[in-house]
Amino acid sequence: MRKIAVSSLFAILVTVILVFTSACGGGGGGDGGGGPEKTVSQVLRVNLAGEPATIDPNKASWAGEYTPVWQVFQGLLGFNQDLTLKAVVAREIPSVANGGISPDGKTYTFKLRPDATWSDGTKVTAKDFEYSIKRLLSPDLAAAYASFYFDIVGAEAYNGAGDKDETTKAQLKNSVGVKALDDLTLQITLAQPRPTFLQLMALWPTYPLREDIITQYGDRWTEPSHYIGNGPFILTDWVHQDHMTFKANPNYWGTKPKLTEIQMKMITDVNAEIAAYRNNELEISRVPTGTEKAIMADPGLSKEILRYPALITFALQFNVTKPPFDNVKVRRALVTAVDRVSFVDKVRNGVGEPALSWIPPGMPGYDPDLGKEYQFNPAKAKQLLAEAGYADVSKLPEIKFQYADSTGNRLIAQFLQGQLKDNLGINLTLDPMEPKAFTTLVNNENYDSAWLGWSADYPDPDNWLPELFGTGAGNNHTGYSNPQFDALAKQAKSELDNTKRLQIWAEAQKIVMADAPIAPVFYREQFVLVKPSVKGLKTTGMDGQIVGDLFLADVYLTE
Amino acid sequence: MAVVASTSQPHHTLWGDAFIRLRRNRLAIAGGIVILLIGLGAIFVPLISPYGYAKQDLDAILQGPSWGHPLGTDALGRDVLTRLFYGARISLAVGLFAQAIVLAIGLPVGAFSAWVGGRVDNIIMRLVDVMYAFPDILLIILLRAILGGTIYMMFLAIGLVAWVNVARLSRGQILSLKQQDFVTAARAMGASGRYITLRHLLPNSLGPIIVAVTFNVPRAIFAEAALSYIGIGINPPTPSWGNMIRDGYDVIFAAPYLMIFPAIAIGILMLAFTFLGDGLRDALDPRLRR
Amino acid sequence: MLKYIIKRILWIIPVLLAVAFITFSLMHLVPGGPWDRDKQLAPQVVENLNHKYGLDKPFVVQFKDFLWNTVHGNLGVSYSYQDRGVTNILLEGLPKTATLGIIAFILAILIGIPLGMVAALKQNSAVDYASVLFSTIFASIPGFVLGILLMIVFSVELHWLPTGGWGGIKQIIMPAFALAAMSAAYIARITRASMLEVMHQDYIRTARAKGLSERVILFRHALRNALIPVTTVAGPELAFLVSGSFIIENLFSIPGIGRLFVQGIFARDYGLVMGAILFYALAVALVNLIVDTLYAVVDPRIRYE
Repeated sequence: MRKIAVSSLFAILVTVILVFTSACGGGGGGDGGGGPEKTVSQVLRVNLAGEPATIDPNKASWAGEYTPVWQVFQGLLGFNQDLTLKAVVAREIPSVANGGISPDGKTYTFKLRPDATWSDGTKVTAKDFEYSIKRLLSPDLAAAYASFYFDIVGAEAYNGAGDKDETTKAQLKNSVGVKALDDLTLQITLAQPRPTFLQLMALWPTYPLREDIITQYGDRWTEPSHYIGNGPFILTDWVHQDHMTFKANPNYWGTKPKLTEIQMKMITDVNAEIAAYRNNELEISRVPTGTEKAIMADPGLSKEILRYPALITFALQFNVTKPPFDNVKVRRALVTAVDRVSFVDKVRNGVGEPALSWIPPGMPGYDPDLGKEYQFNPAKAKQLLAEAGYADVSKLPEIKFQYADSTGNRLIAQFLQGQLKDNLGINLTLDPMEPKAFTTLVNNENYDSAWLGWSADYPDPDNWLPELFGTGAGNNHTGYSNPQFDALAKQAKSELDNTKRLQIWAEAQKIVMADAPIAPVFYREQFVLVKPSVKGLKTTGMDGQIVGDLFLADVYLTE
Repeated sequence: MAVVASTSQPHHTLWGDAFIRLRRNRLAIAGGIVILLIGLGAIFVPLISPYGYAKQDLDAILQGPSWGHPLGTDALGRDVLTRLFYGARISLAVGLFAQAIVLAIGLPVGAFSAWVGGRVDNIIMRLVDVMYAFPDILLIILLRAILGGTIYMMFLAIGLVAWVNVARLSRGQILSLKQQDFVTAARAMGASGRYITLRHLLPNSLGPIIVAVTFNVPRAIFAEAALSYIGIGINPPTPSWGNMIRDGYDVIFAAPYLMIFPAIAIGILMLAFTFLGDGLRDALDPRLRR
Repeated sequence: MLKYIIKRILWIIPVLLAVAFITFSLMHLVPGGPWDRDKQLAPQVVENLNHKYGLDKPFVVQFKDFLWNTVHGNLGVSYSYQDRGVTNILLEGLPKTATLGIIAFILAILIGIPLGMVAALKQNSAVDYASVLFSTIFASIPGFVLGILLMIVFSVELHWLPTGGWGGIKQIIMPAFALAAMSAAYIARITRASMLEVMHQDYIRTARAKGLSERVILFRHALRNALIPVTTVAGPELAFLVSGSFIIENLFSIPGIGRLFVQGIFARDYGLVMGAILFYALAVALVNLIVDTLYAVVDPRIRYE
């Protein structure tokens, strides 16, 4: 009797499960695609890997935020695939020759194309740009990238007026050096010349915005029905934490995209992402760190690999104010004691490039000959240590290595620990931390040695050197200070001749590498899987969250 | 007289009796032996294994099982079998000591609350509610920020967030036992609350509590694995089974065995604790005569 | 009884207050703030952000403001998702997490209790050992391990189920199972243990001697009493399932609040964390109340004053 009661419960349970699982029989479990096989579905499914905090162009500061912005909006200038500038909404790139830049380098005049339109048909005017840039600088918006544009007249003052009254704020806003002279002309005045200003104008915080829409809807303007842009796609659907859907903009003023739809999912787990790819739910997928070799050995997947260098350098950074790192010989010793080549070849399966200098290949300013003296050489490293007075390594104070805990970082940290132990006999104490605790530690300069990763905001040494190595600079957390470097940096910042400017930066980089406040380890290489049906993908070192996301309008699907 | 004397049982205390019965339970003994073996292996691994747990061999990365490495190597070429045994130290320690903290806090709090009842019970249960509703993660992050990623932090963190369950359990047990006749009888005979609790209520309520604890040991190990998964576990290169599962999870598409082996290890330990715990429960139950 | 329930409901308010205060304090004690990032923001920008979100006010004022706003139904702004209010975010995510937790809970009960019962009734038989083995296997696999194994088998190899997301039965079945497995095993063990105790009690022997059928004995007497410890753990299991789903939600990309909550703590998103805490604490308090009430209903020997 009780057997029946119990087993009937079991039977029900099993039946229920079978019904569930059989209800999803045939079909690949994927979405999108399908339908008649005559025309190939032009729906691209990619992974944004998380919900963006905001997609407001002025406020966006992380890759997951500006990738959607790039599909829906376009600015005065943009980047080509080789990272040179191109004119987008502007008719041409301003230069001294065409009068777009004043001879003293302080006034920029942009002429807009007359045919650029918003997706609802209205024309894009210079006023839209003026509104956007002033909004970017507004203290009440508290945009992250505002400080990048402090060279504009009145920008810093306006941005610093958070606690002032409304009248003062309005006055300061009016005195910001951005003016729409007429519908098609925008003039920007700088307080001092900034040779990289045009690159800054190609970045998303300066994209045009619709004052009428933002005034009417306030913070809700980024919801799909109000998110009006001037780019090749429009945002039609946003299911929070799940996915965003973009459809081709029928009113797009430029070359219409071949894709009809882009779906950006929000899968946060890398294993789940590649599982989705293999289940035909995504066309592009990242690859879990450490599995690259297995993928290269897989007969099917190996044909779908896409690799290209990213403009990202990873390095070990030292707190040069704390012993033993206040001694340059100790730093140089550690730089020389790490076998980067083995790391990249063996641990990272050849994905990436060993790095001997700071600026990565693909960036202007990359110097392949720099840093050769730091090639792996344990004997030399020991000697340098001895010269520093530490022939007996037990005399060294405890050295901690701090990093934000993640798969890749764990691997590199343990690798470094092994290297220093085997080659120098030094015991590195590993201290993984959660991300915020780590950044606070570094920003307050309470660490001994830490992991440092830097990626390009724009492709220029201007973005890679002064911020990190200038005395007291905002992102200089090594405590490094060298007046020679500072002098060169000051020169380069206002040098209007590009060749000369890059030469100055090259000299500056040499100084930094000699002083070794950081030990570059490797340059990142992107390693992703792309379905063979995807054609026309254009990758750059400046890609955001998704490969080729600067040029998704050129992508189409075959097969 | 003689007949009665020969059929009555020799005098045993509750615990002595329990021990005899435990000895007869083969599964429980097997469980105990396995735990002992794992423990011994964990202690003596430096003598047995030619590898250190941190020794990297960059030419032998992510290799499957072979003669030199019976369970394969991990992403930095370290021997998995060796790390598994070193990891046993951490996992066993975390499992046991965290549970010790759980029992040390949870049992008395629950029992006290149930025995005293009334207002005091109410207030204590509300405090338990607050502990429950509390985001464990936050507490653990804070503990980690203060104590660093040491094993003591693990004990404390897991123990502090897990004791509430045992408190509720022990309170529940005591509450239902409190009303039973033998308690009334003891009280009538003049026994104090403390005596009754310690001598009668606790031993009788131990059944589900022991089961809960034997299940909680692996749960503590999992908690450690989950914490390692989100990035607030024990500092590397110290291997713990949680760390190893996490490392294996990261490369599961390339080397599934890296995750499977520590999972199997946890399973074996779990089985061992289960059999032992069952045996203990059966041995302590005075009514189970088979 | 009713008086007891009302008193408990009233107690929820000070409990919530205590939880809110402790959480608020801990969030501010933990190192790091919401604006810290590797490429540090300019000090002017940080100042603007702190001013915009009221983080430059003294701690007590911030807490007071938070309480005031909450009482008026405004849970504030999230820094991780800046264009939606916290209330909005929670209302969207909560039903999903709750659904997942409840389905997992039901699965755990549907599998665990029968399994435990059968094992107890046929103690030391093959079924008993099989059930112990089953429950051990599923109890020895952490949720995210089981989850990824399920995903590999059913999505990558068999292509039967999608790898995640939210929308239908196909998407919820794997996460629910992964979440339920450990609880099912635990419930099976507890049921078995307490069934065994109960089945050997005198009153069961009496009932048998009276000639009652096994079925009546089982369901009318044994089960009811055996379920007491199960009820005790059911509450915390439910709470655990509803909250501990962070790892599963992350793996299967379920847009619930479990994922949001843990991410929020890591991102120091004070607004989101505080809002989520209140929801969660309320849910836990209510669940505990229900469990305690059930206790009294199921076990007539328990009296609450």
